Amino acid sequence: MNFEKVVFGFFIVLALTLNFGFFIGDIDNPDHHHAMELGAALAVSLIATIMKFGDRSQMGAVLLATSLVADLQLLIACFIWAYAAYETEAGVTGEVLSSIVSVSGGALLANLVSVTLLVAETITIRR
Amino acid sequence: MDDIIWLTMRRLRTPLIVLILVYSFSVFILVQVPGQDAEGNPVQVGYLDAVYFVAIMATTIGFGEVPYAFTHLQRLYAFILLFPNVIAWLYSIGTIISLLVDPQFRAVMARSRFSKRVRGMRSSFYIVCGFGHTGKMIVSGLLKRGISAAVLEREQDIIHGMALDDQFAHLPALAGDVTDRRLLDIAGLSAGNRHCIGVIALTNDDHANLTIAITAKLLRPDLPVLARAETQRVVDNMASFGTDATVDPYTIFAQRLFLALSSPVKYLVQDWLISVPGSQLRTELDPPDGRWIVCGVGRFGTRMAAKLDEAGIPFTVIDVHPERVATWSDAVLGRGTEAVTLDEARVRDAVGLIAGTGDDMDNLSIVMTAREMNPRLFVVARQENPQNDELFDASNADLVARRSLIVARRILMLATTPLLPVFIDHMVHHDEAFANTAKHRLSSVLEGRSPGLWTMHLTGPWAQSLREAKSENVPVRMEHLTQNARTPAYESLPCVCLLLERGSSRIFLPGAEQKLIEGDTLLFAGRGSARDEMLFALREPTALVSVASGRPQPRGAIMRGLARRRVNAERRD
Repeated sequence: MNFEKVVFGFFIVLALTLNFGFFIGDIDNPDHHHAMELGAALAVSLIATIMKFGDRSQMGAVLLATSLVADLQLLIACFIWAYAAYETEAGVTGEVLSSIVSVSGGALLANLVSVTLLVAETITIRR
Repeated sequence: MDDIIWLTMRRLRTPLIVLILVYSFSVFILVQVPGQDAEGNPVQVGYLDAVYFVAIMATTIGFGEVPYAFTHLQRLYAFILLFPNVIAWLYSIGTIISLLVDPQFRAVMARSRFSKRVRGMRSSFYIVCGFGHTGKMIVSGLLKRGISAAVLEREQDIIHGMALDDQFAHLPALAGDVTDRRLLDIAGLSAGNRHCIGVIALTNDDHANLTIAITAKLLRPDLPVLARAETQRVVDNMASFGTDATVDPYTIFAQRLFLALSSPVKYLVQDWLISVPGSQLRTELDPPDGRWIVCGVGRFGTRMAAKLDEAGIPFTVIDVHPERVATWSDAVLGRGTEAVTLDEARVRDAVGLIAGTGDDMDNLSIVMTAREMNPRLFVVARQENPQNDELFDASNADLVARRSLIVARRILMLATTPLLPVFIDHMVHHDEAFANTAKHRLSSVLEGRSPGLWTMHLTGPWAQSLREAKSENVPVRMEHLTQNARTPAYESLPCVCLLLERGSSRIFLPGAEQKLIEGDTLLFAGRGSARDEMLFALREPTALVSVASGRPQPRGAIMRGLARRRVNAERRD
């Protein structure tokens, strides 16, 4: 067992699970989507991206790309949230929240691809 | 470029992860801790404020507590979080800075910059491997002739020194293993580079030169390779796989000495043509007939001795190595620097002496001692270290074999005027009369300074005038080209045509009556503005026609038509 591989897999899967945790629930119900979950998802996603730095293989390049997509989508979600909370009168309404959650849904998809690739790679190594 | 990004990413991985962990943890804590606003109402710090506060705290900027002044509890947490944040931040910055001064990183940066500059070259250039004394001379010679160079050199110091020299500062240069295929690749040997016109291998290591020559010939068989080689084995080896020219300074010098001994006129013409343009012309050498002494029969001495043998000149050998002495019939064991040894070699009744040991100081000592014993001695000295130039100049030796100068001259000649070796070869193997004609013609135009050489390809834009003349039915001869086309009075340009190449045939020293046609290649030797005037005449559509027909040619189509009519009418009359 390689400790580096454990950390690597841990962060990538954690990025997916946190993202999923935020995404799940009624799309416009503020009780189902906590800001902290989104923040944690973004932080872990950034770490996962950095973990993928420096891998020059084809697989590494695709993994890095999916992570960058997830980062981008989560950052956009955070910006929408911050803007709605501080700059608009109404605050985070159901309408704004549904767009935040749908953007994070995109990030979820990217994270899903990332984890799928990781699993696929692991299986090919086993064989 | 790619390498730099990957290397940076790999190095920054840990610091960035630490930074993000600490950062997000701090934001999480700050959001949780309750605060109060100006009126004392309990409020929670928002995410945006928390992110902002941690950023200004971690970078030690410290704009203040936002949005409201902190409570004591918040200050306590901020105090605890402050240190890990600042440390994580400094750790990241420290890693970036250490990366910038890391030798490995700098090497990658230098390589990437070099590669970019080579790819950005928009004019023809040579790859020059080895930038010692010889390399400098060659590159500056190439630059004078409008050819650029990409320099590879083993010593980092020399590359740093280059940046301080105005002449070379703009050239792409890289320090590294010159025999490395990848370095040669990015220096312009890669198949995509159209501006690279050849490789010059000049390192002081024969084996390295051999490796460079092989690599270049394998990767780009179309490019000419010019290499320095000092042993016969390497010369033969290089020739075997098609190296275009191997330059062995000792053999070249031995051949020149042979020429000086057997035909002073040929020697003189060759010397004029190969010396640096604008330098003082050498006057006739007159090596006397009689017995010679060769001090030191190493790489240099044996070649000289062989040439003396070929010229049928008797000689005595002096050498410190008993096994070398044993192979010569008339030989003396000793260094040659002492009067005893020279006496033993009968220096008083010898006519010439070759100081050819591998040590500069020994050679100078031999020259001085021998001159003292026999002032009329014709002395040839071998100089290895280019820094001893002044000493050898002061020694008053009749001929000095300067290794780096010989290599530099020969390579420059091969790289810039490839027809010159053809001419010199022809002259060396031809009769004395030919050399006399060449000498006569050259001395009439040179005024005591050695000539500049240039090659003219009469094709494309340089044949504009010739095509014009053809359409006017005016034959163009050599005398028209070597005449100043800008002055109405006859004024010949100070230059001599050495060689005319037309297809596969060659005409040496073509006369004034020689007709010129499109596609000819001409080799000229001359001085002053002769070359520029000639280029002007060739490009200017009417200049050469005016000179050849003796009538100023109008430039406009209508006036030209009228002029042609007048000419035809005159012919009919």
